[in-house]
Amino acid sequence: MAKTPTGDITTHVQRLPAGAAGGTAGEGEPPVVVLVHGLLTDSLASYYFTLGPALSAAGMDTVMYDLRGHGRTDRPPTGYRLEHFVEDLALLLDALDEHRPVHLVGNSFGGTIAAGFAAWHPERTATLTMIESEPPVAAWAGHIADGLAHARRDLVHDEAIEWIKERYGAHTARLSRNAARILQTTTLAEDVPAGRLIDDDLSALRCPLLAVFGGDSGLSAQVPELEAKVERCRTVVLPDQGHSVLVEQPGRTRDLVLDWVREHHADRPGVRAGAVG
Amino acid sequence: MTTETTATLALDEDTALAQIAATLRALPDAGLEDAEIGRETLFHDDLELESIDLVSLAGLLREHYGERVNLALFIADLELDEIIALTVGRLADYVAASLRATEES
Repeated sequence: MAKTPTGDITTHVQRLPAGAAGGTAGEGEPPVVVLVHGLLTDSLASYYFTLGPALSAAGMDTVMYDLRGHGRTDRPPTGYRLEHFVEDLALLLDALDEHRPVHLVGNSFGGTIAAGFAAWHPERTATLTMIESEPPVAAWAGHIADGLAHARRDLVHDEAIEWIKERYGAHTARLSRNAARILQTTTLAEDVPAGRLIDDDLSALRCPLLAVFGGDSGLSAQVPELEAKVERCRTVVLPDQGHSVLVEQPGRTRDLVLDWVREHHADRPGVRAGAVG
Repeated sequence: MTTETTATLALDEDTALAQIAATLRALPDAGLEDAEIGRETLFHDDLELESIDLVSLAGLLREHYGERVNLALFIADLELDEIIALTVGRLADYVAASLRATEES
């Protein structure tokens, strides 16, 4: 298992170089895609078994990692503001000696981290893809504070975990127990909503933005605002789909990301459009 | 590109099953040291493995068998309901078939 020191913690990272999972490496310098997972019940595994192999096979250098507190990355007791997560990513790219502008893909809270990175490290960001996600504005901080307070209140009770087990099975119950452990042993629930934000006008987001939503998710209400505020913005709403876009529609998500990255990488020298497959 | 210096010999499904079971029992943080593991054992409901445990398993299988056994690709090709119904026996069959395919090529 690949563990890399990133500042005061050690980060679990999995890289799939272009062509490593079959397919062709393509010609010229491949694009770098960094996949950022979501909060509490999530880990890099959500990408490892979905988007990751497909991006590599399509000729993209693919980086997946576990956020602090999650998966096999260290879980310090404190230090879970958004800027900590963003700085971890910058330190990870440094540790990997990766200095090309990267195509960021973030799922849920991972998209919020990716947007923070795009805002505060614009020179290192090629494009930003947010899947079922909100940028780190004041309204987001309010939503996430409510959600985390709710989760922390409910998941401490054994009966709640039992109810989850009966209704959703042992696996989901194990994930929920793990989420409860993060909330009980760290300051994540207070820290995440209290971190650095960007202005409501989204002027900090200057790179191209792809925003993907489930039509049944309340987050899709952001579409008009994103399109109005972000100059180079594409939004996709998948009908009859809730929040779990990545897990429930991996094929569709993969195609959207592949097309997006290819399109924005195509104007670089040495890359033939359609040469990868 | 580097080439592998030693080729893993083809092995039958039962041997693959025994090796995967041993690998699972040694999986860090998964708590499977004393688990009963057979062909019909479900990764999801019986072993209660989190998907991050499967990432660790993928790494161990690659170390053991080489690049030909690619758990990420194998799982990426499955539908969600197939992943939930994945048995240790089905993975053993995949490992044996992957190594056999390499032998014959």
